[in-house]
Amino acid sequence: MLNQTSMEPTRQGRATLVDLLDRVLDKGLLINADMIISLAGVPLIAVNIRAAIASVETMLDYGLMRDFILPQILPQDTPLQSPPNTGFHPPD
Amino acid sequence: MTARGLYIYCVAKGDREEPLDLCGIEGTPLWALTDQGLVAIVQECEPKPFASADQKVFANWLLIHQNIVDLAWERYETIIPFGFGTVILPTNGNSARQNLNEWLEKESAEVTRKLEYLKNKAEYGVQVLWDPNVILPRIREQDAEIQQSEKETRSKPAGVAYLLQRKLEELIRQRLETAADVHFKTFYHRIRECVENIHIEKVRKEDPPKQMILNVSCLQNKEAMTALGAVLENIGQMPGFDVRFTGPWPPYSFVTAGG
Repeated sequence: MLNQTSMEPTRQGRATLVDLLDRVLDKGLLINADMIISLAGVPLIAVNIRAAIASVETMLDYGLMRDFILPQILPQDTPLQSPPNTGFHPPD
Repeated sequence: MTARGLYIYCVAKGDREEPLDLCGIEGTPLWALTDQGLVAIVQECEPKPFASADQKVFANWLLIHQNIVDLAWERYETIIPFGFGTVILPTNGNSARQNLNEWLEKESAEVTRKLEYLKNKAEYGVQVLWDPNVILPRIREQDAEIQQSEKETRSKPAGVAYLLQRKLEELIRQRLETAADVHFKTFYHRIRECVENIHIEKVRKEDPPKQMILNVSCLQNKEAMTALGAVLENIGQMPGFDVRFTGPWPPYSFVTAGG
């Protein structure tokens, strides 16, 4: 019964996109603290996102999606001078 | 002091506080903020839940989140990813940044321990689907009760046959359910033996006639995937079964308390 070939994992394809978005949406570190809000506490939004996933899923697979997203997040010309929330300076 | 919130993507080990050459949701610049030898990848945001009535906008944010987490994963090698939409708020005179630092200080031992545990590991999704149309004839062949019930149904007049047919369908449904359960257990144990950690996920609805009978998230060393791959290849070659094997993903399913 031992098979010599080994299946390789993939990050491509529609079913894979759903598998990934399920993780991004429902998982990851959750912190229970007053100072933190997360979508876990906003069920209606999660439902909206499920619908959004379904609509995106029909349009594009993950490979194309990456090409679509990357230009949005890669370097911009905006100069970055000070860290956010500069009211607090961490020790050097 | 501003009253902005901090949207957090992930934490990793690091001690360089710096702007990252990346933009996050709504084109806002990303920062690596440090404390306690840990680095949090964040962007500023409104101090409220992320909401948009536009589903495409929402989906876009979700994908930006994942891509940022992915890029951070490449850069820092081991990360603890946050789920989409986690915002650290300013509270009681504390800025969100102060709250972030307080959290890192409080949790640094646990976060560091978790990062050690996750080193070199990645998450993989495994789903096994079956086609009942292919499986059922094999069950029928070996099941005397189904065979007997089919024979009886055929031999009775229409009215009685209708009722018997209903009974037969229920019997078949039960047999398929039992078979799915047996296969689930067998596959689960075979997969479990090849990975560091495993979580059972809810099965998803598939396009008929296919049905998902197993959905798990696995945590495994990225360099030691051969055994799992071989088991999955083997399952995928069984008639009537299909295997989906996705990843490597950041370890989203293995970062909750006790995970």
